[in-house]
Amino acid sequence: MKWFRGGGITGFIIRRLLLGLLVMFLVSVVVFVATQALGDPARAILGRDATPDRLAALRKQLNLDSSVVGQYFHWLGGVLHFDFGSSLAAQEPVGKLLGPRLVNSGILVLCAAVISVPVSIAIGSYAALKREKTFDTVTSNLLLVLASLPEFVVAVLLVILLSTSVFHWLPAISPVPPGHHPWEYPSELVMPVATLVFAVAPYVARIMRASMIEVLESDYVEMARLKGLPERTVLIRHALPNAIGPVFQVIAINLAYLAGGVVVIEYVFNYPGIGSALQDAVLNHDIPVVQALAILIAGVYVLLNLFADVATILVTPRLRTRL
Amino acid sequence: MSATEEAPALAEGVDTPTPPVKSSTLLSRSLRLWRTRIGLVFVLILVLIAVFGPIIAPHKPADFMGIPNTPPGGGALFGTDYLGQDVWSRFLYGGRSILVMAIVSTAIGVVIGVAIGLVAAYARNALDDILMRLMDVIMAFPQIMLALVAVSLVGPKAWVTIGAIAITTAPRVARVARGAAQPVVERDFIGATEAMGLSRVRILSGEILPNILGPMMVEATLRLTYSIAVIAALAFLGLAPDPNGANWGTMIQQNQGVLATQPWGALLPIIAIAFLTMGTGLIGDGIARTAAGIDRERGDE
Amino acid sequence: MTGTGDKRWQVVEREDGLWLPLSRRNLLMGAGGVVMASTLAACGGNSPAAPGGTATSGATDAAGKPVRGGNFRLGVTGGGSKDMFDGQNIVTKPDQARLVSAFETLLEFDDDYQLQTTGLAESVEADNPTQYTIRIRKGIEFQNGKTMTADDVIYSLQRIGTQSNGLTGFAATATMDIKNLKKIDDQTVRLPLLSPDSTIPQTLASYTFGMVPKGYSAYKGDVSTQIGTGPYKLKSFTPGQESVSERNPNYWRGDGSPWFDSVTITDFSDSTAQINALKGGQIDAMTDLPAGQVSAVKASGVEALISQTGGWIPICMAIDMPPFNDNRVRQAMRLIVDRNQIMQQIGSGYGQIANDLYAPFDEGYNKDLPQREQDIEQAKSLLKAAGADGLTVDLHTTNGASGMVELASVFANQAKAAGVNITVKNDPNYYGDAYLKLAFSVDFWGTRGYLNQVQQGSLPNSPYNETHWPPKSGTGSNFGDLYQQALRATDSSKRIEIEHEMQKLEYDNGGYIIPYFNSLIDGHSSKVKGLSPSKGTLNLAGFGHGFRTIWFA
Repeated sequence: MKWFRGGGITGFIIRRLLLGLLVMFLVSVVVFVATQALGDPARAILGRDATPDRLAALRKQLNLDSSVVGQYFHWLGGVLHFDFGSSLAAQEPVGKLLGPRLVNSGILVLCAAVISVPVSIAIGSYAALKREKTFDTVTSNLLLVLASLPEFVVAVLLVILLSTSVFHWLPAISPVPPGHHPWEYPSELVMPVATLVFAVAPYVARIMRASMIEVLESDYVEMARLKGLPERTVLIRHALPNAIGPVFQVIAINLAYLAGGVVVIEYVFNYPGIGSALQDAVLNHDIPVVQALAILIAGVYVLLNLFADVATILVTPRLRTRL
Repeated sequence: MSATEEAPALAEGVDTPTPPVKSSTLLSRSLRLWRTRIGLVFVLILVLIAVFGPIIAPHKPADFMGIPNTPPGGGALFGTDYLGQDVWSRFLYGGRSILVMAIVSTAIGVVIGVAIGLVAAYARNALDDILMRLMDVIMAFPQIMLALVAVSLVGPKAWVTIGAIAITTAPRVARVARGAAQPVVERDFIGATEAMGLSRVRILSGEILPNILGPMMVEATLRLTYSIAVIAALAFLGLAPDPNGANWGTMIQQNQGVLATQPWGALLPIIAIAFLTMGTGLIGDGIARTAAGIDRERGDE
Repeated sequence: MTGTGDKRWQVVEREDGLWLPLSRRNLLMGAGGVVMASTLAACGGNSPAAPGGTATSGATDAAGKPVRGGNFRLGVTGGGSKDMFDGQNIVTKPDQARLVSAFETLLEFDDDYQLQTTGLAESVEADNPTQYTIRIRKGIEFQNGKTMTADDVIYSLQRIGTQSNGLTGFAATATMDIKNLKKIDDQTVRLPLLSPDSTIPQTLASYTFGMVPKGYSAYKGDVSTQIGTGPYKLKSFTPGQESVSERNPNYWRGDGSPWFDSVTITDFSDSTAQINALKGGQIDAMTDLPAGQVSAVKASGVEALISQTGGWIPICMAIDMPPFNDNRVRQAMRLIVDRNQIMQQIGSGYGQIANDLYAPFDEGYNKDLPQREQDIEQAKSLLKAAGADGLTVDLHTTNGASGMVELASVFANQAKAAGVNITVKNDPNYYGDAYLKLAFSVDFWGTRGYLNQVQQGSLPNSPYNETHWPPKSGTGSNFGDLYQQALRATDSSKRIEIEHEMQKLEYDNGGYIIPYFNSLIDGHSSKVKGLSPSKGTLNLAGFGHGFRTIWFA
């Protein structure tokens, strides 16, 4: 935004917020228009049982009116009040339907983040310090391999290894019963969370390593060392804050990715989260649910990016001065 | 698909300049690294299987061989699958569609993405902002989600999958391309060519593009890795174009139920996909390291 | 009593004669169109036997005495957020399981697909061809303690028969004079018909004809409204995920059943997750164990219940749409099929070869028609004569019932031999958008009597007529008249004669390719007792007869 600069950090944050809002507005238009193409929901819900009488009964029940533009603004108004309408298939408010599933998926992503972020930052930093030594070579190759494996391959391999074929340590599926919370079933969380950690950690660790190496070679770290500061202080006070900046971006992107990418993992583990809700909703042409999920996932992406941008600026000493 | 959604997108004003490197130099130099070589070997083997597999396959992929899910033996080298078809033949047939779809969709996505990124970087005005905000909108939807919705919406047709992956690949490439092109645009010789009256298309394709080929090659291999993973994941979710097509992703989905007694039906394609994505990942990393190494050398000069 | 789980059971069945005569009509509509047989009424006396009892006597004893207690956890595929709870309506497979746990029908099919008066009615008698009298058992209470009366029966039937309610069973009420149902006394209802219909007792035994209390409506968030007479009462329900039902302590049969304290029904995304959960002890039973995995799961301590049903997965050719509007093309397609290979590939050998006809358990099933065998040469020459050699056509299917996609793929491969090029289209929106409008498609059906099946799928006003049968003119156009005659026929041999004629028409001109009657194969842990194979349409032998005749060892 070259035509709109200035204002220091506050100005920067305001700019990013406005931009985020603009993107979200465009997202809402795209989502709405795209879901209009989803076809007749009444038919999709009834499937084979879509006899004319049952269709007529359901259509009446669903109040499928017609004016598209009117529908959009009506819908947008609802969305702004966090009212996404009612699920056509389940015939209850979208919020009520998705609420527990959001919590479930959120727990998955949160657990994955809480484990993978510190671990990958530690691995990445240590590998940078021990550059080209055994630890670095082993981890960087291992991470590269892990980073390349599709999650469903990781998930299937984990199930074979830990649950059904080799060892029988962990439950193969994770069907959190409604009315309960995932943390009541810690053993069921292990494998889905592990799959997500394998999906996120390698990439974060690799970026952390690269970023750390760059910082360690930079002039000001050199300067700090020349000043005779203890290596520990140099690392924690000078190197880490500067190296972690770009990593925030990567963490944000990865977490946003997980919000949508849990689809496959939830499928494998029969986990009742938003991924399986999305699959179900798309099959049923359940427009309000698809819209809500798309908006939510996109919103998470925009929000995380916003946080990451701000965090990067705040954390990285050398960037603050450039605003 | 290990979530390498984008290369670190730095906050505005933080784009780091990338000095131009000749792509051929980069490639040949990157081959000095073991990881690039290993990656290349993996990819080559799997490409060979995909290309020549159908020729050496002992049976047609849909031929009925015998009782479903029988372990190796008899006429079937790796046993039969859930429909009594030859696992080995289906494995040999199963790489083509994934590889072709992945390459085509990635290529389309990269071409569109590079074009948009270059135009945005060169424009240096409101067009830049508009294009990039549009890219943001698309990027707000995870790749697998958009592909899933598109395929469920239109039906599991090859062009839908390819289109969905191309569309979601393009903005991610565009961002990187723009980031790489911006410092090039700022340099003097572009101003000189403008003064010479060269057309914009010529400037973009003839002057700027060659200078960002290095990062673009890294990005393309990265994107290819994800495209493979997304296509395989869609097939794994049962959304492949041909429901009984010999396709590695489909094979995993169909045969994972009997992993304990007849593992080959799922294990062979799992290994294949794992090595394919590892291979492209290693190559991408090799090129990236080489580029970084060249940078460092220049810094030292 | 648990399914022997291998093919031995089926072999025994075949030797016994798969086509056990259906005695319903002799009993229900004997000479002069009189009475429900007294034997049936007696059988339905004070403590009605489990419907399973008669069919698989001998197998029953092995399981020992039922024991109370435990939470039975069932994993079912095919559900989703559109799951519903209604005593007379279903959309998904888990809905079926939930329905039969809480609601019961007036009459019941036993495991041999014979009608029995083990249900809520003591008798259903045909007073004359257009009038039935339903007499319900005394003292049956709904789960809330309210006694079931004739008013509830009338409300239940009228609810199904009201078109705007959009219930599954509506089409089957076409012959009922639903408005003029009459209460004779608290136990007796008179059901007048608009036209003669000898299939009424079968209709009343369909599981979607559950009896609900007067004023009942479908689940809308309040479990206390879901009151049936059945063994389990709904406690909680989350569509797309799970339902929990509790034991009904006042259950009317007085034999100590139901045995479980509760029943939990969980939705699953696919069979792999189901099998993994069953192996790991996270569920006690699962629906639709893939046939090819029967031996694999047995190795890990899971048992398979294999039921030879009258279920079928047809390939449907619309007889009025090209290229299938030429009967030679239809006949050629039917000659392309290698039925045995299909049964081996898709059913792993579990099943019974079919002959393009349905309703194998009906006494009117015509087994005198020659078994159609693969004949590629004949098929080729028929296609050539029809000008359709080298035919290219799309075959539409979907991940509906298990086997639908596989059948399309296997058939497409077989058709190559006759130079027919079939492209399989697996369309997730198949049932939503294109169903019944396609020239060439795959569908699925459960066990039914012949005339009930005709009414559902082979008449101009049938709700699910994929083949657009019968033809409007020419051979076969008299099919509808024959159907009416069969409904009217009071003499069973006369009716069988008419049914044979109808089947001959379908065999020679129809649009169905029916390769085999599939077995329902379900998995359960070895601690589940009381399961035995059933010819009925629902999984796990009618979900253990509403989870009533099964228990934990």
